[in-house]
Amino acid sequence: MDKLLQPDPGLMIWTIITFLVLVAILKKAAWGPLLAAIEARERRLGEERAAAEKARAQAERIQRELEEKLSSVHAQSRELLAAAARDGESLRAKLRAAAEDDARAIKDKTAAELAAEKNKLVAELRAHVADLSVSVAEKLIGKSVDDGVQKSVLDGFFKDLDAARGGRGA
Amino acid sequence: MNFEHVLAHHLIDEKFFHFMVGPVDMGLSPVILSMWGAAALLTGFLALASRAQSSVGRLARGFVEPAVLFLREESLRPIFGEHTDHFLPYFLTLFFFLLACNLFGLVPLTAGTTSNIAVPAAMAVCTLGMIFIVGIREQGLVDYFAHLAPSGVPWPVLIVLFPIELIGIFAKCFSLCIRLFANMIAGHVVSLSFLFLIFVFSGMSHAVGAAAAPGAVGLALFAYLLDVLVAFLQAYIFTILTAVFVGMSVHPH
Repeated sequence: MDKLLQPDPGLMIWTIITFLVLVAILKKAAWGPLLAAIEARERRLGEERAAAEKARAQAERIQRELEEKLSSVHAQSRELLAAAARDGESLRAKLRAAAEDDARAIKDKTAAELAAEKNKLVAELRAHVADLSVSVAEKLIGKSVDDGVQKSVLDGFFKDLDAARGGRGA
Repeated sequence: MNFEHVLAHHLIDEKFFHFMVGPVDMGLSPVILSMWGAAALLTGFLALASRAQSSVGRLARGFVEPAVLFLREESLRPIFGEHTDHFLPYFLTLFFFLLACNLFGLVPLTAGTTSNIAVPAAMAVCTLGMIFIVGIREQGLVDYFAHLAPSGVPWPVLIVLFPIELIGIFAKCFSLCIRLFANMIAGHVVSLSFLFLIFVFSGMSHAVGAAAAPGAVGLALFAYLLDVLVAFLQAYIFTILTAVFVGMSVHPH
């Protein structure tokens, strides 16, 4: 049984040789390709993740840009609408003012024409009445009244008439 | 039938022939052939797994890759940091070689490689060499031995501490050897003991021996399955402890 606990030097040397040779062989035959494959896969995964993140960032950027554009379009359209409303309002006010001016002008002109017509009629009427009165007086008196008398009589008459109209008017 | 005789016959390595190189007998023996068989199988399996072109290769890779990644990321990276990839081939080979030897020793008709004390002893010598070589290469010969004992200790303590630290390195490797050897031989001893119950009982009477046989075989089978677990466990423990010891010589404090 003692032999169980006595290491055999030959076996130890063979073991060390075997192990060291195995380290060299496996380094070439197994660990190199295996670790390279693992590295390649990790690198590929990393690249894919980076690409996916980049694509997502790009998509987010595009979305943000679109939203910005959309909001600017909204603002612009609101502004245009407001401007149109403003223009419409001012146009309406202008038209209204112009219409009012026209109406006032027409009214004034009409009033002036009416006043002129009236004055003309009054003057005509006066002349007519004077002629009529003179002819009546001539018929009554039977003789022609000279122009000086005629005028003084008529002036007195019209004064009385004006006074009477003034009294009636008052 | 003598149990001790059977155990010795089962576990002691008898050389096929003697081949003296100086004082050392380099003759081949069943253990060496088993070890070579395990190494050849391992090389074939790992070469297949590392290429992973066939479906068998991918299957093999499915076993190997998680173990490699676990050893690299969980066991070695915390110890060696950025030097991990430099040490990786040695420790991966150490783990898989011990695992192959442990498992191959469980196959019937092969010799138990790691249950022969010379093999764990040789692996411990490799660890010892690794500790010194890596330590001296990383720190330089003088610095390495100067850093064996912690600095800032008064010199009378140092006189005591230095030999203790030096002996400690050998003790660590010795414990590595004994741990692996004892665990692996224990499985054989336990299995054989259970099977030997049959002969003990049949020594009393053949009927009792026959009645004990199913139980004994069941127990031996249970011990055998336990051995499979122990094979993985001890290969990992030997590897991780070697890594820790080598790591200590890389970073002394």
